[in-house]
Amino acid sequence: MKDLSTFSQLLRISPIVLVAGWALLTLLVESFTRNKESNRSFVGHLTLVGLSATLLLQLLLLGKMGPKAISLFHGRVLMDGFAMQMGMLFVVGALLTVLLSPSYLEGHDIDFGEYYPLLLFSVAGMMIIAAAGDLMVLVIGIETMSLPVYALCSSWRRKAASQREEASLEASFKYFIMGAFSTGITVYGIALVYGATGTTLFSDLVALGPEAATKGLLVVGMVMLLGGLGFKVAAVPFHMWTPDVYQGAPTPVTGFMAAAVKAAAFAAMLRVFTYGFGTKELVFGSNGWASILAVIAALTMLLGNLTALWQSNVKRMLAYSSIAHAGYLLIGVIAAGNPSISAEARSAVVFYLWAYTFTTIGAFGVIAWIGKREGREREDVDDWAGLARQRPAMALAMTIFLLSLAGVPPTAGFFGKLFVFKAALANTGLIWLVVLGLLTSVVSVYYYLRIVVAMYFKDAPQQEPDIQPMVSATSRVALFGATLFVLLVGMYPTSLWKHAAKALMGL
Amino acid sequence: MILTAVVLLPLLAAILTLLLPREEKALIRNFGVAASALIFLVSLVLLWKFNTKSPDMQLGIQLAWVKTLGISFHMGVDGISLFLVLLTTFLTPVAILGAGGAVTKRHKEFVAAMLVLETGMLGAFVAMDMVLFYVFWELMLVPMYLLIGIWGGERRVYAAIKFVLYTMVGSVLMLVAIIFMYLRFHELTGVYTFDLLEWKRMILTPAEQFFCFGTFALAFMIKVPVFPLHTWLPDAHVEAPTPGSVILAGVLLKLGTYGLLRFAMPLFPYASTKLAPYIAILGIVGIIYGALLAYAQKDAKKLIAYSSISHLGFVVLGLMSLSIQGTEGAIFVMIAHGITSGGLFLGFGMLYERRHTRLMSEYGGLWKVVPKFSALYLVIMLGSVGLPGLCGFVGEFLVLVGSYDHHAAAVIQGVPVTLPHPKLMTAAAALGVIFSAVYLLVMFQKVFFGPVKHKINLSLRDVTSRELGAIVPLVVMTIALGIFPSPLLRRMEPAVKQHLAEYQVKYKASIDVKKARRAKVLSRKALRGLASKLRTIKPADRQKLRPRRRGKAAAAKASKGKWMKKTFPSRRLGNLPGRGARRRGLKGSAGRRGLGRGRRRAPIIRPRGRRHGMPQPMRGGR
Repeated sequence: MKDLSTFSQLLRISPIVLVAGWALLTLLVESFTRNKESNRSFVGHLTLVGLSATLLLQLLLLGKMGPKAISLFHGRVLMDGFAMQMGMLFVVGALLTVLLSPSYLEGHDIDFGEYYPLLLFSVAGMMIIAAAGDLMVLVIGIETMSLPVYALCSSWRRKAASQREEASLEASFKYFIMGAFSTGITVYGIALVYGATGTTLFSDLVALGPEAATKGLLVVGMVMLLGGLGFKVAAVPFHMWTPDVYQGAPTPVTGFMAAAVKAAAFAAMLRVFTYGFGTKELVFGSNGWASILAVIAALTMLLGNLTALWQSNVKRMLAYSSIAHAGYLLIGVIAAGNPSISAEARSAVVFYLWAYTFTTIGAFGVIAWIGKREGREREDVDDWAGLARQRPAMALAMTIFLLSLAGVPPTAGFFGKLFVFKAALANTGLIWLVVLGLLTSVVSVYYYLRIVVAMYFKDAPQQEPDIQPMVSATSRVALFGATLFVLLVGMYPTSLWKHAAKALMGL
Repeated sequence: MILTAVVLLPLLAAILTLLLPREEKALIRNFGVAASALIFLVSLVLLWKFNTKSPDMQLGIQLAWVKTLGISFHMGVDGISLFLVLLTTFLTPVAILGAGGAVTKRHKEFVAAMLVLETGMLGAFVAMDMVLFYVFWELMLVPMYLLIGIWGGERRVYAAIKFVLYTMVGSVLMLVAIIFMYLRFHELTGVYTFDLLEWKRMILTPAEQFFCFGTFALAFMIKVPVFPLHTWLPDAHVEAPTPGSVILAGVLLKLGTYGLLRFAMPLFPYASTKLAPYIAILGIVGIIYGALLAYAQKDAKKLIAYSSISHLGFVVLGLMSLSIQGTEGAIFVMIAHGITSGGLFLGFGMLYERRHTRLMSEYGGLWKVVPKFSALYLVIMLGSVGLPGLCGFVGEFLVLVGSYDHHAAAVIQGVPVTLPHPKLMTAAAALGVIFSAVYLLVMFQKVFFGPVKHKINLSLRDVTSRELGAIVPLVVMTIALGIFPSPLLRRMEPAVKQHLAEYQVKYKASIDVKKARRAKVLSRKALRGLASKLRTIKPADRQKLRPRRRGKAAAAKASKGKWMKKTFPSRRLGNLPGRGARRRGLKGSAGRRGLGRGRRRAPIIRPRGRRHGMPQPMRGGR
């Protein structure tokens, strides 16, 4: 195939370039205005402008070029419907995070100048992941995404050292060490795949056809990739880092990790497994990944939901809940392995990710919002007692997010589950997984309701000074927008589905 | 249009409630009562517009909701759901008015929760699209959870969570079956739809039916609740505030039996026929077990809760008997139990407000202190006992008739036999009637008769005018339905007959599918060929295809039935076979009476349009 001119190739990936460039710009602006009072909010606003511009650019490109797939840079980058849709999801997730961040950072007196540039770099990495047409590009994307997030986890910096700062640093360190291991495994897996086939291009892997399943080395490499990416999506047994990291990181960053980073990891999974390793023999054959992933998904749902039952820290509870959600999403990934319905199943996963992103960032946004008590964050379930009395609107928003996480209609989460499970049930072999998923989601209702119980059924302690919420106009906008989105999609999912249905992969 | 208005008006009223100023407690309460009473009046229009003769879904609305998935906003009422809708709109204002001192905080949220709950219940009763039904089904859960959890008793959090988890376990499994059927329907027809009336045309293979029926029945049996799944109910009732109990016992439980009747049985006739004996036995066990436990209670609210388990056992038995009387009786019991158990909870709630104890031993001799209240409570209590002339009697009697005569009725109507020992089972169920007289009379005696044991009770106030406003409508309905059941029965009859006729057709078709599988027509392609062929066969021809022995008793029975028909113009009892008919007719079909009469007038598959007509059986499976 004749390649496009360099300019038009760059045009196609301009959103990625814009985000990365904007990250550099904010970094410079930040360092030059470091000592000024208005510095932080200014960088925040600048980031908002950049992300909004990116979103506009993406919409423009999508409108101009449509969801038709284009292979760029000799197939190393695939700008198809999937890449564009996921790119928009990442940008929107980052937008919500940036809207929620300023009040939190100021409220906790966190002084970490590189916060916004790092966020932008990470988004650029995610967009590379979604558009990767080659295993090496994928690794570059994963690292571009992960390294800034490691740093963001430790962004809890203050003039005076505290326990909280140590927790933040510990989280960051843990995440980094574990992440480095997983990257190592991923890269080793890629090396094996290369050794077996002589290529790292997805299109070449696809071209191998049924023959691929006969290559032992390839299968071993594939399984290693499964482990490496399983770490990123926090699937059991690669989930150990999640609770500590999610708890230790600043809350908006946690929301960003639980939603956008996870979505990017799922983009990688879909790209690698349902496209690169998507031939029937590699999926459902005796060495196929579907059976392994099914076991992983089952364990993930079970362990995530059951462990969450015992948590009293809301952030930790939601961390386990995010593990459980990875399990549900994995069901969608397995369903997408079936070539006859893979387009639909992929769209279902994308739909789920949209719903999940808004819900999760919203939920963590409320956690960030309700502020601190006696110098610490209000993270315990008991800290939420009587919130419905003091802040009915926030309590209502949180309830809606929690119901959406539990998959209760009429919220976006319900339709997310419905789409994914519908796709999964089209493969008769997955009924048990779906049943397990639904049963564990009943379990999840229990711990989500614990927060609702605290908010609505319990009274705040008497000596409670009123809540010191981390309010700002931007966080209000973000939370209101997320609530509205969750409810509207719950009542009228058609338009989002149409959007997600354009997430076609491949040429 | 009117139906949509009835379903969505409570939601609108709930939103308006939230806009009222928080301090104006009386205003909020009055607004809630007025709005829900107005909705009741609007819902009476349904009764007026309802075509009594038609068995079909009426006053419906169908709009595309999620086109890509084939989910539609499809609602309608027929004779089965009409009175349940009216019961809901009737009980909601009563419950809000009767809340009184049971709700002392957060009045605004209370009224809003009650109204949202009303929308959920109404929607679940009229939804004709499975996803819509599921949405309303879950929508009910949240306000009820809040009602128990915020305004409930000491162990309210435990009870609220137990209630939610029990219901959710059932409903998510049902969701699996819903999606499964949805995909199977697509496989057979190439159309994605969740529409119930479309689904009714589909016939699954026995194995699939067992799977789907199992999940549906589990969900609904938890809600009813049927015997081993009932443990959430006493907790929920005891902890719920009075209005919550009224709605829970009055309407919410009926959604379980309604679900069996509307969804589980018509969609999976083969599985439900095969499992019906067991479910009926569970129903009977529930009748007796609930009654015995009710008798053993010291706590009056628990007593009434267990009595609900007992009464709903009759509903289950009636539905499983597959007879016209049994099914109509079951629906009637649902209505009657809604009124009487709502009244029992409401009345006891009023006592509880005065004395703050649920223990019966704390009362005694109240008749002397509060005569007006006692008299009103007596009527409701007797209605619950099933005294002839009050509403409880009609339904339970019909159920017992239906199950007693089950074999004969099965022969005449052509429905499969589902109760193995109908007479024995009826006798066992009838025990429950006696028991219910025992425990309720004992309760009444403990609370209202005898000397006043506790001095504090001497100073109890008799009913206030607000309380009168809540309880008198219930008393009036208890008497009215007992004396004039026929306006209800007449409207139910066409829909019930159609339900049974469809059931019979689909059951036979399921057997055909099973035979086809047995006869090694196993490949799906072959089966599909068979299905398309059978679909075009008219039911009359199918009768020819499958000759059946015919009893000669038809004529005899017909003449026997005549005097009954004169006496009971609704023709309900006209289908009862005479003695001779039963003796001789058991071996074969006793003719084409009863349901068959309808068939002679018009073919079973009436070309009345695709949606609202009788189902065109369509088979498939693999």
